[in-house]
Amino acid sequence: MRNKLKAVICVIIPVLLAFGLNTKFGPLPPLLKFLNPFTGFWQNAEKMSVTQQSTLKLKGTEETVDVIFDDRMIPHIFAKNDHDVYYAQGYITAMNRLWQMEFQTRFAAGRLSEVVGAKVIEVDRYQRRMGMVYGAENSLKGMMEDPVSKAMIMAYTDGINAYIHSLSSSQLPLEYKILDFVPEDWTPLKCALLLKQMSAVLAMGSDEFYMSNILKKYGPGVTADLFPDYPFREDPIIPVGTKWNFKSLPVPQTPQSYTEMTTGKIKTKELEDGIGSNNWALSGAKTASGYPILANDPHLNLTLPSIWYQIQLNAPGLNAYGVSLPGAPGITIGFNKDIAWGVTNVAADVLDFYQIRFKDETHKQYFYNKTWKNTKIRLEAIKIRGARTEIDTVFYTHHGPVVYFHKPENLKMADNVPLGNALRWIAHDKSNELMTFYQLNRGKNYDDYRKALTYYTAPAQNFIFASSANDIAITANGKFPLKWKDQGKFILDGSDPKNDWQGWIPADQNPTVKNPERNFVSSANQSSTDPTYPYYINWEFGSYERGKRINDRLKVMQKATADSIRLMQSDSYSILAQNLLATLVSRVDPAKLNATQKEALEITGKWNKFFSAKSVGASIFDLWTKRLFFDIWDDDFTIASVPMRYPSKDRTTELILKDPDSKWFDNVNTPQKETLNDLVNEAFKYACDSLERKNGPIGKNWRWANVKQTHVPHLANIPGMGSKTLMIGGAKSTINALGETNGPSWRMIVELGKKPKGHGVYPGGQSGNPGSFFYDNMLDTWAEGKLYDLYLMQSADDTSVKVLQHLKISKK
Amino acid sequence: MVFLVILIASFLLQLILPWWVIVIISFATCGLIGKTAKVSIWQPFFAIVLLWTGMALYKSLPNHNLLVSRVAEMFTLHTWWLILLISAVLGGFVAAISGYCGYHFRKAVLVKPSNP
Repeated sequence: MRNKLKAVICVIIPVLLAFGLNTKFGPLPPLLKFLNPFTGFWQNAEKMSVTQQSTLKLKGTEETVDVIFDDRMIPHIFAKNDHDVYYAQGYITAMNRLWQMEFQTRFAAGRLSEVVGAKVIEVDRYQRRMGMVYGAENSLKGMMEDPVSKAMIMAYTDGINAYIHSLSSSQLPLEYKILDFVPEDWTPLKCALLLKQMSAVLAMGSDEFYMSNILKKYGPGVTADLFPDYPFREDPIIPVGTKWNFKSLPVPQTPQSYTEMTTGKIKTKELEDGIGSNNWALSGAKTASGYPILANDPHLNLTLPSIWYQIQLNAPGLNAYGVSLPGAPGITIGFNKDIAWGVTNVAADVLDFYQIRFKDETHKQYFYNKTWKNTKIRLEAIKIRGARTEIDTVFYTHHGPVVYFHKPENLKMADNVPLGNALRWIAHDKSNELMTFYQLNRGKNYDDYRKALTYYTAPAQNFIFASSANDIAITANGKFPLKWKDQGKFILDGSDPKNDWQGWIPADQNPTVKNPERNFVSSANQSSTDPTYPYYINWEFGSYERGKRINDRLKVMQKATADSIRLMQSDSYSILAQNLLATLVSRVDPAKLNATQKEALEITGKWNKFFSAKSVGASIFDLWTKRLFFDIWDDDFTIASVPMRYPSKDRTTELILKDPDSKWFDNVNTPQKETLNDLVNEAFKYACDSLERKNGPIGKNWRWANVKQTHVPHLANIPGMGSKTLMIGGAKSTINALGETNGPSWRMIVELGKKPKGHGVYPGGQSGNPGSFFYDNMLDTWAEGKLYDLYLMQSADDTSVKVLQHLKISKK
Repeated sequence: MVFLVILIASFLLQLILPWWVIVIISFATCGLIGKTAKVSIWQPFFAIVLLWTGMALYKSLPNHNLLVSRVAEMFTLHTWWLILLISAVLGGFVAAISGYCGYHFRKAVLVKPSNP
């Protein structure tokens, strides 16, 4: 008996040990599954040397495909038909970025809990309740209706799956091993989800909840004064005075009634400079070569692996180079022999909240057009690792989903969602953005560009264009609802049909300009047009500062070269400082400052207004103005029970310059009356003191780069997999819009001509594997503001390119 | 002998099977030919420490220890070789326990019934 027991124990101990070290506990990876050198992370350590020739047999290809990897491991795909080119794009992209593709689409679909557990359940619920999957399903219908985009998406999907099925457990990307899950098959829906996620990043901003609260608290007079419909200073994308050559549709009448609103118990979100971008194009009249130059740098949250994936696609009728989004076929920003194109975000108001009156607590019926209408129910099954699947019920009105009845706890992204409101969002509509890029990739001239844009729905973008035929153009493009003026500035009454979207601005009437007299076009998220444009797109856009600086520089530029444009992309001159610095410095009373503050004042007074890496003045000015804006508005616009937002930077600047005795400078929470001077002095001392507390006496540690701490974190914030801190300049409202972890996610310059010359870089590398030399090899070049030459190869045997590897894919 | 058998079998089988095959190999080897308890602990231990260290270095050195340094940072350790040490020793420990258990399993099962 004793022996039997002993034998059993002798078996149980090793089994338990093996099981325990093969299982994930808490945040740690499953220890020996991860650490063993045969299937664990060690297998992801890539050799520095690359084999020069390799072959691959795949069932899915129709003919032979050649993939040339250049000296930065950028793939140049040469296929003999459309199917093979997208199949190979799917396969090669997955080879480098599989985990990123899966993680981003899981995030979009609200399916993260399935792999990381209950701690992210609120994020999953948010994504589901905002209708991300619902929108992706609708979008997919649009993509599948067109045989061309359907073939493209199917080939791309098959390519990705061919790669997934080729993987053994030792070859899984590193993050799968850390988080302990395995790749699931790719589906066309995931391509749609990825595009929805771009819409969520770029077009999910919504202020109407805050604006409604402001309207309720301060009334229409103050609201109109502090939140005007057109900025004090502006330099719109379509040059002022451009004629609108179309007969516009009648704009719907503004209804009599304004809305009631509800408030929840949440904090004010401080208005932050959003995610923006720059693009511009010069006509041949302004360049040294006589041909146009086009530049684009989209600003996004920076991550490793890089957001973008560089690729060249070649097939009959197609030879384009540029960046793609891992998870979507085609090239998003790039160029071919004849044309180049790029995008920046349009801050169009394509997301509205409608207050809904339900008949009762069951939410089965709601009031609309003087009658009770039925809601639809969508059940969202959220699988949770280590727990039971949760079924979340979402009620849909004809507007869209009712996002929340109860506020989720600790979810910052949900702060601006009003309770009991239905969401109408353009990203819920059927669409086919892929066709736009399919056609741009093959475009030859201006007409092709205009035609490609008609397929596009969301997120609305300023599509910039230049061609070797010396045309330049820019179009604020997307599907824009036909609205009455200010429709959606505040929460809308969901029972009144007059508040519904009444139709669409015709695609050919979207703001556009071709070959303007000033010989350049540009955009930096500012207002699309001056107030003469007959339609309403939004009441507020990104601030004009970057746009103004770009236009100022382009106006005087002559004989431009790629290098002069490159230097402009890393320009960090601050228009805000140009507008405010002298006024603010003159209002500081030096007699009341201590020694450090006096020295700081002198430095700031002499500051050249560039947010350069070593500038101390930049650090002081940045903190000073942030504190000043806080001092001005916090007492009036932060009330715990009524979430509101601050007036814009533009309006605040106007107030400081034009109306220094304004009542808004008084702090209503104190008995005495504060003036602008009081606030300027308080903010200055506050800025100096906090810099001193954090960085010691004035010196190296006060430099802007050190204060800003730019770095590129890992997509899932896994420690050790991100970048070091980069000692570089730039700031959010300057052309080089570099914040702590956001900024230019891709910089591209294309010189058009008989043979186009491309230059570009992103902060990362081609590989998504932290164990690869190509994971972050471009980071330093990017940080220095330099660019690489981009090779638009003419054929697979083009000898002008340094080749690291030639991969031949043939049919199995 | 135990050392060599475990070393070779673990190398070959881990190319196709998960890491925990070393548990079975150590258990079986010591269960069959482990002469003493001491041999059944130390020989599996050193076999796996040697094998895993070798394999880890084979992958990591051509990588200039780039990845293992990042992994060390993830575990909030400052030098990469600590990860190597932890991997190898933990693997060796599991093999040692398995070998020891294998040896005692045989002892328990093969006790002659004539003995009281």
